[in-house]
Amino acid sequence: MTSNRTFQIFLGLYISIFFLYLFGPLIIMSVTAFNSAEFPSITPWECFSFRWFNEGKIAYDGQRLAGLAADRDLHVGLITSLFIALGVVTLSVPIGMSAAIVLTQVHSKLRTLFYSMSIMPVLFPGVVIGISTVVLWDRIATIGGEGIISELGRNGIFLTILGQTCFISTYCFLIFVARLQRFDTTQEEAALDLGASQTQVFMKILIPYLMPAIGSSAVIAFLASFENYNTTVFSILSEQTLTTVIATKVRLGISPAISALAFVIICMTLIAAVLYEFFRRRQEKKKALESAAKMYKEISSDRLKQDSKKAFILPKSIL
Amino acid sequence: MSGFFKKNGSIISTFFLIAITFWLIFLILIPQLYMLDLSFRPNLPPLLRGGPDDVYTLTHYKHFVFGSETSKDAYNYVDIGVFVDTIGTAILVTIINLCFCYPIAFYIAKLATPNATRLLILALIIPFWINELLRSFAIRILFAGEGVINNLLLEMGLLDAAVNFIALDVALYTGLTYAYILLMIFPLYNALETLDTNQLEAAKDLGSSTLRTHWRIVIPHAKAGIASGSTMVFMLTAGALATPVVLSSPNTFWFTQLIYQWFNMNDNWSRGSAYSIILLVVSVAFVLLMMRIFRVTIGEVVR
Repeated sequence: MTSNRTFQIFLGLYISIFFLYLFGPLIIMSVTAFNSAEFPSITPWECFSFRWFNEGKIAYDGQRLAGLAADRDLHVGLITSLFIALGVVTLSVPIGMSAAIVLTQVHSKLRTLFYSMSIMPVLFPGVVIGISTVVLWDRIATIGGEGIISELGRNGIFLTILGQTCFISTYCFLIFVARLQRFDTTQEEAALDLGASQTQVFMKILIPYLMPAIGSSAVIAFLASFENYNTTVFSILSEQTLTTVIATKVRLGISPAISALAFVIICMTLIAAVLYEFFRRRQEKKKALESAAKMYKEISSDRLKQDSKKAFILPKSIL
Repeated sequence: MSGFFKKNGSIISTFFLIAITFWLIFLILIPQLYMLDLSFRPNLPPLLRGGPDDVYTLTHYKHFVFGSETSKDAYNYVDIGVFVDTIGTAILVTIINLCFCYPIAFYIAKLATPNATRLLILALIIPFWINELLRSFAIRILFAGEGVINNLLLEMGLLDAAVNFIALDVALYTGLTYAYILLMIFPLYNALETLDTNQLEAAKDLGSSTLRTHWRIVIPHAKAGIASGSTMVFMLTAGALATPVVLSSPNTFWFTQLIYQWFNMNDNWSRGSAYSIILLVVSVAFVLLMMRIFRVTIGEVVR
């Protein structure tokens, strides 16, 4: 009994340490965003201030340390990042979906080859994908001479979208494969038998069934693109995204303005997580209610049937 | 092929074919093959490409092994050292992550109540929605020379002078372990969740010790999860760039930083490509090794 007790205490301690390790650095970073000192720290606490969220501070050597609201590079980077993320979502969701659907239709040997090829990009280091995209398109741009191809091939945003789509499509592909495994193909056959065209079947049956997967893969693709650094840093060329701006800032020296940015992102994440949990709970409740109502209906209709059967048995006395 | 068109209708089939060809051929296959080709070519200015000097050569791979022709060392100790360091550290980080995560994954999968499980999983995911760079930055605030840990220890009187955690690479190892811990926990959790609790009880009733139960029942059951988690963590650690950029000391180099340097600062794209190919080959070899050791298919590794 005592050994069980010590085990419990030990386990509790271990889990606390684990979560402290996960959250501790983030909490401390958030706190440093509110210290007015030039170096992100807690212990010489100068004074509580929002300056790192607003205009920043002029350092003792006259250098201007911009706060969040005053930092133009960050704003430009943010807009570029959002644009790239949208581009990646519009490319990778349809690609992942098509590949997953086609995977259900090919067989045996070809299927293994196709599947292995599709998941390969996840096994490539991000830097490799970035570099290969850049070198290929630089060559294409050189051969293409003047004109649109050459311009595209040297456009960092375009290259970044292509490079990220290469591996983010695999994430989408895997989400769609998981969803399609539970798809009941008799639905399609029934629709075809009833005279629907293949396009109609696709639009009216498959797409609605895949809707949850489309939603979640779009979210995953957006997030993965938004936070990508390894591929982007190579393929972005002369442009800047949010992550490359952050990387440059961190390398130049650590400023509490980055803590402030992190604090904003952490808050947004927390709100998203709470909303997600809230909606999930509500949906689960709704589902539970629906299934209860359905069960009630079935039971009651069963009873009706039984009653009706009884009603059709003619009393013997009539005969 | 005609069956394919018949099944999906001509419009949808064409769409599928275009999407898949674009992805598999133009985004995956051709860029990698072109990079492989480039890595065997000399570094030439754009105008000389395709000219008489543009022949296949092994110079870049030779440079990795033997160093530049002007150096006196027999081998390129710097680059090989960086490479071995990177791979060794990545293996170490993978093992630490595995040991660190296994109890947590087991607790969440088997011991916690369903509500606690859901909350814990949500709590695990939240930190990983935050950019890798910013998470590394958080670690850097902790470990910097005037950082939180140093100040705390100095004030408590445990230290006489600040310790340079960054130069000691403590910060880098902590950051790398921190960065991909989720990718270890989730495969482990998924594998352990399917384990039948009755088996654990049966083992206990038959007098097996906790350690033995884990060794003989839980770990064999979780092997696909272990393989998958280890592969992902290793690949991402070996190919990491964001965390080393923020946390490595000026005299420690990560292999990806070396690639970055050849590529962006020295403008030697073909050498950068050659070094990328080396990284790629090692990564793929590691995946194959894990598949061999744990006897799992590639589908079980990537999920």
